[in-house]
Amino acid sequence: MCQVDEEYNSPLEHKSLPAVSKKCMKCKEGTAVLIIRVGDAFCRSCFKEYFIHKFRAMLGKNRVIFPGEKVLLAVSGGPASSCMLAQVQEGLSRDAPKKLRFMPGIIYIDEGGVCGQNAEEREKAVVQLESIFRMTGFPYHIVPLEQVFTLPESVLEPVYSREQPGSSYKAAVDQHIRTEVTRGHGEPAVEETQDAVGRLSLQASTYKPEHKLALEGLFSSLKTLTAKQDMLQILRHHLILHTARINGYSKVMIGDSCTRLAIKLLTNISLGRGAALAADTAFSDSRYGDVVMVRPMRDYSSKEIGFYNRLFEVQSVFIPGLDTKTADKASIQRLTESFVVKLQADFPSTVSTVYRTSEKLHTACPPQSSTTEAAAKCLLCLCALDTKAGKLQH
Amino acid sequence: MPIQCSSCAKKRAVLRRPKTGYSLCKSCFFWAFEEEIHQTIVSAQLFNRGETVGIGASGGKDSTVLAHVLKVLNERYDYGLKLLLLSVDEGITGYRDDSLETVKRNQQQYDLPLTIVSYEELYGWTMDAIVKQVGLKNNCTFCGVFRRQALDRGAMMLNVDKICTGHNADDVAETVLMNVLRGDIARLHRCTAISTTSDGEGAIPRCKPLKYAYEKEIVLYAYFKKLDYFSTECVYSPNAYRGHARTFLKDLEAVRPSAIMDIIHSGENLSVKEGVKMPVQGTCSRCGYISSQALCKSCVLLEGLNRGLPKLGIGKHHRLHDKILTQQALTQQEEKKLKAMDF
Amino acid sequence: MAAPIAIHLEFGGGAELLFDGVKEHHVTLPSQSEPWDVKQLLVWIRENLLKERPELFVQGDSVRPGILVLINDADWELMGELEYQLQDQDNIVFISTLHGG
Repeated sequence: MCQVDEEYNSPLEHKSLPAVSKKCMKCKEGTAVLIIRVGDAFCRSCFKEYFIHKFRAMLGKNRVIFPGEKVLLAVSGGPASSCMLAQVQEGLSRDAPKKLRFMPGIIYIDEGGVCGQNAEEREKAVVQLESIFRMTGFPYHIVPLEQVFTLPESVLEPVYSREQPGSSYKAAVDQHIRTEVTRGHGEPAVEETQDAVGRLSLQASTYKPEHKLALEGLFSSLKTLTAKQDMLQILRHHLILHTARINGYSKVMIGDSCTRLAIKLLTNISLGRGAALAADTAFSDSRYGDVVMVRPMRDYSSKEIGFYNRLFEVQSVFIPGLDTKTADKASIQRLTESFVVKLQADFPSTVSTVYRTSEKLHTACPPQSSTTEAAAKCLLCLCALDTKAGKLQH
Repeated sequence: MPIQCSSCAKKRAVLRRPKTGYSLCKSCFFWAFEEEIHQTIVSAQLFNRGETVGIGASGGKDSTVLAHVLKVLNERYDYGLKLLLLSVDEGITGYRDDSLETVKRNQQQYDLPLTIVSYEELYGWTMDAIVKQVGLKNNCTFCGVFRRQALDRGAMMLNVDKICTGHNADDVAETVLMNVLRGDIARLHRCTAISTTSDGEGAIPRCKPLKYAYEKEIVLYAYFKKLDYFSTECVYSPNAYRGHARTFLKDLEAVRPSAIMDIIHSGENLSVKEGVKMPVQGTCSRCGYISSQALCKSCVLLEGLNRGLPKLGIGKHHRLHDKILTQQALTQQEEKKLKAMDF
Repeated sequence: MAAPIAIHLEFGGGAELLFDGVKEHHVTLPSQSEPWDVKQLLVWIRENLLKERPELFVQGDSVRPGILVLINDADWELMGELEYQLQDQDNIVFISTLHGG
């Protein structure tokens, strides 16, 4: 018998035929330059306004970043994280009363050793990125992935150094300010920051040849591309986490876009990571305890980001990754990306629907409670264990 | 050089198990396949001694294998169950006739009693007639809903305690993917459950003993055991969207065969955040079947068909249900909305 | 008979890898009886510019899903997509949105 059990009520919106020369749907005057979501046409200036507003609304709505807090921006050079960097600059520069007030730093993880780049190519990419970073004036850290072998074991344990903040945002901010004052930090002077910049960027950017070999050995021992991509993700996170910790950053911003998160969600399901879904795709990820990772770009589709960068000249550097130029079926991640993007082309609400689904989901056992025994968490990703050996779960 | 069976190391291997990649001889494969289903049944406590179990039989490979394996395990492990075959005649000329013949042969082959219920008897409409009224776009909605109820009603007539269906691992994984893609939280939560319990009148508990069996293995099992089954697609072609999910699943399986089990595992571990709105289960005020609205889906669809308003069950017109229940006349505008059907 | 037209092409977001890493191309499309449209342009690019892996750039008649197309800095969806007729000095940009960020 046909196994189609129950059907779905809401009719799917198919992509409508392209319309030519529309007017902006917001101001009704300007000529539209792009279409986002399902048929919303925007002119250039309305798009910019919408885009910038969304970033600040995202931070404001979630109220996770405290004024004066040190926030580390994870920039890979790609469009989404470069755009995120531009938004942070934009947000900090405004004179309006709602100016963003935190202290950013940048981190770039040089993964060239794993992605088949030689020293020269890696150097070239780093130089390009450094020039972009210097123009922002923020302190930056260039960390080669090889440094992962210098990480202490403590990186694998969540740290709960402060008491849980009070339930209201205001109480949390007050507590944060109090902690900072007792540590002797206020707003550091500009010169001090720039000195620190000089020191930090020198320290971290070198790596030992034996670490390079160890890294190559590690990755060649993984037989499938899927496993390599998985491993890379984990190592990257650990390095970012560690850098944040030793430099006093309590928040990390990751540039995952809506599209990327929808793909991540489906990939996680396909990899059997359903239990850790929420942590991997939610706005804030507090499994590490003292350092919270946030994803402020999660409401932007890759199309919106692509257009913004082009129209407003945001610089990005393309650096080949593990799965560049690979076939569709090379890995689970690659296959899922291809699937979602293709489906989105025919059914323009795919990404946003999947994204909304991720917002409604929980991990089976929330990973951020400090009362969960350390033994019940996965060693590598710090999410609660979801297997009970020997028992089938129904 | 022939490869030895990796389990008994005595006989020559005849296949590589899709699920595990191990090379096995025929008898070891049969044993592994059957034993895994046995473990599924036992650990989930699907049945109790003395129960009457209705097997949803369509003549297709899943239900044929299910019937065969259940019969074997019932005897081998003395489950003490009374098994019978339950089949649904949707009234699709050509497709259904052939598959019903197959089910009748299964009855002989497995020596199990067979009961056939038809849409015609239960609802007064065959699928052929429905498609004439409704067209090809939403016919699957009708069929899916009607079949579910048909099985229940047939089971009730025979005093069956439990129904089991041939849903396999690929089906469950595909449903998980579909639910994520469509954003259907409520179904996502329920779809990996191996058995559903009955709440309220009119729903017999049902379970999926083949939940962890790969479709490829079911096909191989049926082939090697020379089981009789009918394998053609429904002539009223199924939902194109589901086809996307299916292709994706097959591609995933090609990259990493454990993906099917991994997806099911993910589905089992997903939980919904507190505060997310979920539909509440009540009962249909017309026929007593379980429903989250005032009228169950079946009644709404039937009403639509009978009144010549084929769109009544498609899309959300919940406010109109009350009107129908109280026999109020619909306004001209409402009628117009419900009539228009694109073929 | 339409005159040959000069087109300025740009590739970004990683798409340039398929064109020997060259991001900008000034090309001249030969004259032909009917006006050039984007659909034909894609065929021309595939035959004359693309260095490797055509399946990563085109799919069927159109571009691979995940590649944004801008015509004179505007979304090609607003310009008629494949049916847009090219004009002399037009600027067409192809940006790949796959694995970035």
